[in-house]
Amino acid sequence: MTTVKPILLAEDNPRDAELALAAMEEHHIADKVVVCHDGAEVLDYLYCRGAYKSRECGNPVVVFLDLKMPKVDGIEVLRTIKNDVNLKPIPVVMLTSSREERDLAQSYALGANAYVVKPVEFQQFISAVKELGVFWGVLNEPPPEGS
Amino acid sequence: MSWISQWSIEQRVLAGFGLVFLGILVISVMSYRNTAVVVKNSRLDTSSHELVQLLGSIEEALIAAESGHRRYLVTGDESYLKAYRGLVEQMPEFSRYLEALAGLSGQQARITQLDQLIRQQLDIETQAISQRVTQGAEAVRHLALPGVAKRELDDIHRLIADLESSEQQSTRTRVLQSAGTTRSTIALLALGAVLQLVLLGSVYFLIHHDITNRRRVAAELRRQGELLQAANKELEAFSYSVSHDLRAPLRHIDGYAALLSKTAGEALNDKARRYLDTISDSAKQMGQLIDDLLVFSRMGRQEMLHSTVNLNQLIKTVIHDLRLDLQANTISWTIGSLPDVPGDPAMLRQVFMNLLSNAVKFTATRPKPRIEIGASRDTGGEVTVFVRDNGVGFDMQYVNKLFGVFQRLHRNDEFEGTGIGLANVRRIIHRHGGRTWAEGAIDQGATFYVSLPLKRTSS
Repeated sequence: MTTVKPILLAEDNPRDAELALAAMEEHHIADKVVVCHDGAEVLDYLYCRGAYKSRECGNPVVVFLDLKMPKVDGIEVLRTIKNDVNLKPIPVVMLTSSREERDLAQSYALGANAYVVKPVEFQQFISAVKELGVFWGVLNEPPPEGS
Repeated sequence: MSWISQWSIEQRVLAGFGLVFLGILVISVMSYRNTAVVVKNSRLDTSSHELVQLLGSIEEALIAAESGHRRYLVTGDESYLKAYRGLVEQMPEFSRYLEALAGLSGQQARITQLDQLIRQQLDIETQAISQRVTQGAEAVRHLALPGVAKRELDDIHRLIADLESSEQQSTRTRVLQSAGTTRSTIALLALGAVLQLVLLGSVYFLIHHDITNRRRVAAELRRQGELLQAANKELEAFSYSVSHDLRAPLRHIDGYAALLSKTAGEALNDKARRYLDTISDSAKQMGQLIDDLLVFSRMGRQEMLHSTVNLNQLIKTVIHDLRLDLQANTISWTIGSLPDVPGDPAMLRQVFMNLLSNAVKFTATRPKPRIEIGASRDTGGEVTVFVRDNGVGFDMQYVNKLFGVFQRLHRNDEFEGTGIGLANVRRIIHRHGGRTWAEGAIDQGATFYVSLPLKRTSS
């Protein structure tokens, strides 16, 4: 493997993040996961600035985006990604507690690639995160770099 | 003025304009009558003036004729009869004039008498002339000095003087009357103008008052609407927050319980494992409760879609979605012919999803579960759909609790559920303008009814 493209998980709640990581651990894809705790950090990561100034630049294979986050919320991050020519090809999966129609409609209108409601039940949560991780992180062929 | 305030704006305007119209009408009629009096008086004045002039002319002619006649009797000179002959010639014309004017002056009797006296005088004079011609100057000498018709002429003088003074009298009366009516006409017109101004003013006031009221009500409605909108927004924000924030800790409880169970693994005894399972179950149950509550709140707020719903098709898909293949006992279904109803397809689907899943749930313990669905068209322009099962039923004394939020008639270890399903059914049916009710008996099954209006009355 030359460069393993990371999975970016934007999740402000550390417990949710830990549970997601635990789920991915079961399927050995946790080492590819980068966790950001708010929208601003996600943008810093994507634009290689701030704390991520020194990282090897390149788009993640997929972004799992929570809707409700401090500083910059998920919708804002989604809007920025889909309005930027370089970031636009990154698949964005909304991973959220909200089942509200308004959030769904807005996310799809802004160009989200998928919308997943986090199940309360842990087993369902695990299988959801696993399926998402395997599909977007392993099965799905990402867009070519620099496209 | 309290009875006026009960009138609608249209009635007030109508009443106001009606009064104005009536005022104008009354004043117009009275003014017309007054003017007619003045015009009539002026016509009578003219004729009276003419009569006086005519009487003057007649009198003059009579005097001239009489004096000429007397000279003729003395002298026998025919040229003195010129005035007399002129009068005889003019007499029919004078009579005609007198007759015409008599009709207007109301002095018919006197004028007839005058006419007779004049004719009498002329007759006497004519007789005197013929006597003079046949018997000579001596025969008429005794007549010539005092004048032949002295008595008649005096009578005529008196009569004409009476006529003249009487005409003057009535002319004076008419002048006074005309002046009076003219003054009253002017007063009436002024009164009319004032009346119309007052009425126009009050009509304006009423309209203005009403418009001000309407504006006030509109402003109040707008304010209430804004308050309602704000309250609705707040509610929406609340349920959004519930949906998002309440679910997260539940997910964590279940998640960490699962992680603990996995990590501790063999170290846990059965009791500890049961505790962990209970924690998970409780979290899941609360998750379900939150989801159901959110659906319930959304059903109340959500904009209704107005279309026609094919109930036969709807029931088919609902039964399909219930995944009855997972059921232990095969249900025997009886589905009657169902009508098309106006309504929101997604909401009505929720109604029958709840009713049918209840029926399935409460017949699960029966060896031969039966569920019947049918419809009857009522006279009142509504259609009633029922769902009947042979399940565990319920005690009719709790029937009022059935459709309440969080109301359950069974323990959770008997039948699972959150107690929101039927509350949702009622809320949706009410929004469609319909009613819900139920019948049942313990261990005898239950029947749930929903009635839907065939005409759109929903909010």
